Amino acid sequence: MSNAKRLFWLPRGYVIGAGFVGFAVIPLLLSQYYIFIANIALIHIVLAVGLNIVLGFTGQLVFANGVLFGVGAYATGLLMVDAHWPFWFAFPAGTAIATIIGVLVALPALRLRGLYLALATVAFAQFALWVFIHFDSLTHGVSGAVIPPLNFAPLPIIPPVGIYYLSFVLVIVAVYLAINLVRSRIGRAFVAIRESERAAEALAIDVPRYKLLAYFISAVYAGAAGGLFSAVVGAVVPDQFNLFQIVLQFCMVLVGGIGMIWGSVLGAIAIIGLQEMLRGLRELQEVGFGLLLLLTVLFLPGGFGAFLAKHVAGWRENLRNTSEDHAR
Amino acid sequence: MRKPLPFVLALSLCSAGFAPSVFAEEGITPTTIKIGTMVALTGPLSPLFIPQVNGTQIVFDEVNAAGGIHGRKIEYIREDDECLPARGVGAIKKLIYEVKPFIIVGGGCSNAAIAEKPEIIAAKIPWIITASTADGLTDPVSPYIFSSISPAWTEAYGILQLAIDDKKQRIAVVYQTDAWGKARIEPLREALKKKGIVPVAMEEVSPEPTDLTPTALKIQAANPDIVLMLLYPKAAVPFLRDSFKVGLKPTMVGVSPLLEIDQIAKGAGGPETVANFRVLGAAGYGPEDAQVAQWKAKVEKRFGDRFNLYHLQGIAGGQFAVEALRRAGPDPTREKILTAMSTLEAKADTYAGPFKCTPTDHQCQKTLGIFALKDGRITGVGQTTPSR
Amino acid sequence: MLLTYLLVSGITSGAMYALVAVGLVICYRTTGHLNFSHGEMYMVGGYFAFTFHVLWGVPYLPSLILAVVAGGVMGLLSDRLVFRRLIKAPPMAMVVATVALSFLLKGIARFLWGGQGEFVPFPSIVSGAPVQFLGVTIFPQQTVVLGVGLLAMVALTLLFRNTRAGKTMQATAESQRAAYLVGVRVERVYSATWAAAAALATLAAVLMAPLTQLTPDIGFSLLIKALAATVLGGLGNMPGAIVGGFVIGITEALAAAYIDSTAQDVSAFVVIMLVLVVKPTGLFGAKGQRDV
Repeated sequence: MSNAKRLFWLPRGYVIGAGFVGFAVIPLLLSQYYIFIANIALIHIVLAVGLNIVLGFTGQLVFANGVLFGVGAYATGLLMVDAHWPFWFAFPAGTAIATIIGVLVALPALRLRGLYLALATVAFAQFALWVFIHFDSLTHGVSGAVIPPLNFAPLPIIPPVGIYYLSFVLVIVAVYLAINLVRSRIGRAFVAIRESERAAEALAIDVPRYKLLAYFISAVYAGAAGGLFSAVVGAVVPDQFNLFQIVLQFCMVLVGGIGMIWGSVLGAIAIIGLQEMLRGLRELQEVGFGLLLLLTVLFLPGGFGAFLAKHVAGWRENLRNTSEDHAR
Repeated sequence: MRKPLPFVLALSLCSAGFAPSVFAEEGITPTTIKIGTMVALTGPLSPLFIPQVNGTQIVFDEVNAAGGIHGRKIEYIREDDECLPARGVGAIKKLIYEVKPFIIVGGGCSNAAIAEKPEIIAAKIPWIITASTADGLTDPVSPYIFSSISPAWTEAYGILQLAIDDKKQRIAVVYQTDAWGKARIEPLREALKKKGIVPVAMEEVSPEPTDLTPTALKIQAANPDIVLMLLYPKAAVPFLRDSFKVGLKPTMVGVSPLLEIDQIAKGAGGPETVANFRVLGAAGYGPEDAQVAQWKAKVEKRFGDRFNLYHLQGIAGGQFAVEALRRAGPDPTREKILTAMSTLEAKADTYAGPFKCTPTDHQCQKTLGIFALKDGRITGVGQTTPSR
Repeated sequence: MLLTYLLVSGITSGAMYALVAVGLVICYRTTGHLNFSHGEMYMVGGYFAFTFHVLWGVPYLPSLILAVVAGGVMGLLSDRLVFRRLIKAPPMAMVVATVALSFLLKGIARFLWGGQGEFVPFPSIVSGAPVQFLGVTIFPQQTVVLGVGLLAMVALTLLFRNTRAGKTMQATAESQRAAYLVGVRVERVYSATWAAAAALATLAAVLMAPLTQLTPDIGFSLLIKALAATVLGGLGNMPGAIVGGFVIGITEALAAAYIDSTAQDVSAFVVIMLVLVVKPTGLFGAKGQRDV
């Protein structure tokens, strides 16, 4: 138990509870504008958590998460637009496609580490963007594709509310699974790999297999987030999945806290909120998020999550289920 | 954590009474009319859209200064869509559900507009498109959407007509590989087929090229007597520059985004590079022409912008909107304005041709102006009204 | 005529990629880190030159020198504010930080110079008209670029390998502690390295500016090409990076004309991915690796 000074009392449970209730009632209280923004935030929670698993927990410096997000969005969207599948089939299929591509790409990447991995994934991200734009017989090219609105019959709700609650449920599932994953043996193996691949091998951890698992999980999350994204926005366009997108995702994970799931949740909400506040000030967005990411890396490498873990009760994220988590 | 369920249930019961109707007559009070717009206010394409919005703003300011429309002053609110669908949907939702305008006048980038269109139609808000030429927005016809700017196909058919009128036989085409380019190359292909013309060269370029000398050389090898340029400035400038360098100097014709011929000449290396260059665009007059001098003065005074042909488009759009609002009468409803627009005929100060809408054709403007650079000034040298 | 033009143009742009890549490699060999904002140093350097020469009317040669100096100062500042703190950090921190820095610089550049319009004109130092040389069409600016570029590269490689300063840099890379013990001011070496790399990038930008367009977004695509050159030659291998640069330049030019105009953008990415997957040490072998 650290002896760091407790700055204030704000148990994580209360914050999570308030957040849960807050998100749950947005469609009942606020206009479609807020529903949309909150929905985007929910999608990014899934993205950030998935990225954190491969980047924060397993320490793999990958820039490809934006690609898989895009693949999920395109796959789901194109299946709906061109193959006329209903969303309920297109979405799982789209997620599966993104996952398969994610794993296929991960296989050669397993041998790469650190700088080489970063380089290869940056190149891959740009390559994928190029494919989105130029393989236009499939992707509709630069003009993208418009997605027909969802049908939630027989429930008497309008599509934006329906997709919102669907996203909400998926976020709950995603975060729950992630928390349990990182507290399990698998999570600890991830962290061991992050700290030192050689030491992990010495501990009889099958490094390639666990790395692949981390890639797999982040691909599932990114693909699902992408599928939801295309349904919420109602269109897919290549420009949406460029390097700035990945910078935003990195912001969410690093500002929230590497290796902290709740940190990523907070990070995603904060960054999306910030981006919305900067609406109409796009130039400021580049400067702002660049600066935020830079300052976080320089001065707060553990992100706000680490800061909270040190100074506020109940925010530590342990790798085991300890009695601490059940005490209040 | 206490059980949240009862809390949530109670809250939902309370708010069940809330059902904010979007479809009531919003945006109108006895003294004001709220009009909204979402365009790329920031980002690389903003220099094309901000002047249009400013032009519309000037028209509304004039009307307000004269007492408004049937006694109501116009409040014009802009939101930024960053030319991205995700940001555009956020912008349009903010407009529709928080700002609640009576109508929307504006809208730009087609990337964002395609995602915004379903939202606008679902909310049944009349939308006058003043800046986006994407055919897909007004075709097929929607009862809620009208366009005051000439659509993309008119530019494609128009430049081909220009080539034919000029008796050019060897036509070369250079176009860019993006949504905007696609929206023009497809109708151009269609038009070429209809006229039975086979171009001597058809070259594709990327929208942000660094060096177009290979393209210029390839086109030069086909020996054309006219080159049709379906390009934005970022590609047109290197093309003109590199063509000039290799000695490719036939007549060159460009379309709307190239209306700022003086700037293009500057980037390409001087007025000699545009000696044979003409632009076909959605505007009636050059920015220095006498007919638009009063607007130029007003725009420069209010915004300090360098007056250009995008302002002209915005002014025309504003005048279209004002005329439609007038005809909707002293007790306007969205229904009334839609009815008024479906048969509207009017003339804008800055377009060479009239507006004409019919119930089956909401592309209300089809006359394009032809411009060239003479003595350093952008001058109108003709006009054309293409048909399909 | 087309093919020869393409080769000449490919060699010219290749020379620029090589020059930028050499800057990357010098930093990598000395500090062990890759600077993902190196492309933005190029872009900002170009805008400095634009400001001095076009906006303020300073004559060409003094503008060039001033711009290169300003670029060097940018490198020093980046070192002071950002790189110095992260030298000893794991690669992830430096990569993320330099990516963040690149967006920051891009945004600032857009704010300062974005309003210049979409195309920033930069007059050539020599006449723009093509000349015929041995039946090949060449633009004089290309020969200037090629000449200066080659000179710079040869000079740098020799400097790095044979002078005391260069050897000091190599020594610092091999072992910081040993360098300290011998009295090498390690921080100074690093600062000088970053400054030199930024100055090099600026030189490349100034040379290239009349031939291409200057916008706030060119930094990243140039970085990718320089990275492709470095990876192709073998990460950390200076002559390798130079050869890699020329290969990338020529491949691009040929691909653009003979495959598809859009293939120009993609060849660099494909090269990086293929090399890293098939033979990560590149054509000539990697050098100066940190223990990752």
